[in-house]
Amino acid sequence: MAARVSLRLRVSLVFGLGALVLAAGLSLITYELTRDNLLTRREETSLARVAFNATQVSRLIDAETTEQQLRDLLQNLYTPLGARPVIRFGDLWLSANPVEFSEPQIDPRLKDTVAGGRAAQMRYVVGETPFAVIGIPYFDIDAAYYEAVPLDDIAAILSSLLIALLTGSAITVLVGIGIGIWAAQRAVQPLTDIGEAAEAIAAGDLNTRLEGADPDLERLSRSFNQMASALQDRIERDARFASNVSHELRSPLMTLTASLEVLRKRETELPVRSQMALNLLSADLEHFKQLVADLLEISRYDVGAAALELEEFEVIEFVQQAARAAGHAPRVTRDPGTEGLVLRADRRRLAQVMANLLENAHNHAGGATAIHVARFDSSVEIYVVDAGPGVAPEDRSVIFDRFSRGSRYTSGGRFSGTGLGLALVVEHVRLHGGSVRVTDRPDGSSGACFVVTLPVNEP
Amino acid sequence: MVTMATRILTVEDDERIRTSLRLALEDEGWEVEESSNGEAALGIFRRHPADVVLIDIMLPGVDGFEVCRSLRRISNVPIVMVTAREDTHDIVAGLEAGADDYLTKPFAPKELSARIRALLRRARTAEGPLTNFIFADLEVFAEEGIVRRGSQDIDLTKTELRLLIELASSPGRTLSREVLLERIWGYDYFGDSRLVDVHIRRLRTKIETDPANPRHVVTVRGEGYKLQP
Repeated sequence: MAARVSLRLRVSLVFGLGALVLAAGLSLITYELTRDNLLTRREETSLARVAFNATQVSRLIDAETTEQQLRDLLQNLYTPLGARPVIRFGDLWLSANPVEFSEPQIDPRLKDTVAGGRAAQMRYVVGETPFAVIGIPYFDIDAAYYEAVPLDDIAAILSSLLIALLTGSAITVLVGIGIGIWAAQRAVQPLTDIGEAAEAIAAGDLNTRLEGADPDLERLSRSFNQMASALQDRIERDARFASNVSHELRSPLMTLTASLEVLRKRETELPVRSQMALNLLSADLEHFKQLVADLLEISRYDVGAAALELEEFEVIEFVQQAARAAGHAPRVTRDPGTEGLVLRADRRRLAQVMANLLENAHNHAGGATAIHVARFDSSVEIYVVDAGPGVAPEDRSVIFDRFSRGSRYTSGGRFSGTGLGLALVVEHVRLHGGSVRVTDRPDGSSGACFVVTLPVNEP
Repeated sequence: MVTMATRILTVEDDERIRTSLRLALEDEGWEVEESSNGEAALGIFRRHPADVVLIDIMLPGVDGFEVCRSLRRISNVPIVMVTAREDTHDIVAGLEAGADDYLTKPFAPKELSARIRALLRRARTAEGPLTNFIFADLEVFAEEGIVRRGSQDIDLTKTELRLLIELASSPGRTLSREVLLERIWGYDYFGDSRLVDVHIRRLRTKIETDPANPRHVVTVRGEGYKLQP
């Protein structure tokens, strides 16, 4: 199917078409019935009167009647509604109003029929006026009486009727389309509701359920709600699991940390070999603690339990604090217009973003050389620049993957990082509706430039 | 440097954690008393009040929050909550229950010592430049740790008192959460601003006539808090 016409449009069009057919049919029937009715009644009344007139004429004429007498007679006939009498007397045709209607306007077929001795009538248009022309023959004298009854008033009535019917039909069609749109809206509403509910769930509102659905759609809404409940259960179970894992992992780490601190306090009392072992233990415990923390952090995203805790703070102050906290970071430079700029964001998560980017620079490029904050219309960008080997274009999306240790971006040996730092950066920033990318340094020298873009919603 | 032995009561159900913490804290120079559950801890505290209480949130029977609330009813002793989950609910609930600070396992005992020192420093505010002062309808006797409205004493914890004094020492000036975290809790970087927010809330319920519409402890949006008469 090339272009799908929307359901709503289709339903509306069908309603409009139905209304059109209905209105046109009714109009046609109304028009025809009215027309027949009006004409028949006019002809009936006319016929009686014409017959009467014909009798009047027949009474007054005989072989000796003069032309002048006939003319007088014509003038004296009762001819309402502008009926136009014509008398044939032998070969003589006399008309009350020769300009408007006289012998030449009488249809030859009517003449023939009347000449054949039968009364007849015909309906036709003379000039622009419709007429019913009635002919009545006389039997005892060579004459005939015709009368043309104009039907223009009926035509006028019919044409206004036609206009009224057309207008009515047009309105009916529009109303039909209107009802179609309304009905389609009503019909599609449950689907719209389901769509909105699904979006709400996707956006993280797991308590969303469909309520008071149409009986016809009960099964759909029931299964939708079951699906939502199942999803909610699963996510809550996963979150509970993650939380339990967190507790189970952190407890032994607590004992290890505290015990190791007791040992370190007595490091000098230990034999050299034990000291070496203690140092290894310390280093890897730190690494392991960080790994557990990062795993727990990222698992919150995986189970859908990550939610922003928003607070307002000044961007520049925040970045400066993050740089100081990292210990090995350069001064922060900034664009004009970032002074006093307040961000509404999850401070803890963004602090981790900065810490991870700075640690990444420390591990792979000997530390960040510049941090810059730039302001755009609806976003801020934070640049973390280093003077290391840079990131090859083909690695630029890969390095944000979990445990991806792109060979070109390593310095050999085992890493001090957990392999989750940049993946967490991506998750944290994405949760804020922002993005992160890595580019070449803007000044063209060797090194990488990590750019964090965050939306700014100014109050 | 703490000269007099300061006693810490640790309430922790995990025996290995409890023992290792005791060893490490004793190395830091503290005297440590242990308890494996909430009821026992409350009994110990009643008989022999400690200088600082360390409470694990997940305890069998009476949980950490409840222990904290019970302690608060009888004492203003500095309380540090310990949680094994970075659940924001737990942390806020712990602070609401009356904890002065919190730590997430695994923490370094050195870090705990620093926290405790900060809490105790604030419990001994006598050396502060600001001693007794009158603020709005409140009389503050910083040295004695007493706040009085009219003839009625208002019971503030040491942290709440320190917060009030800190805000009062620069009246009308906005103090950011970071500054308050540094001065009161001793955090250098990225302390948890919820600490400040929850304590401000508690302070308001105690000294404001209408805590929902505070007139004295005012929030300055995006900046912090200030005190106004």
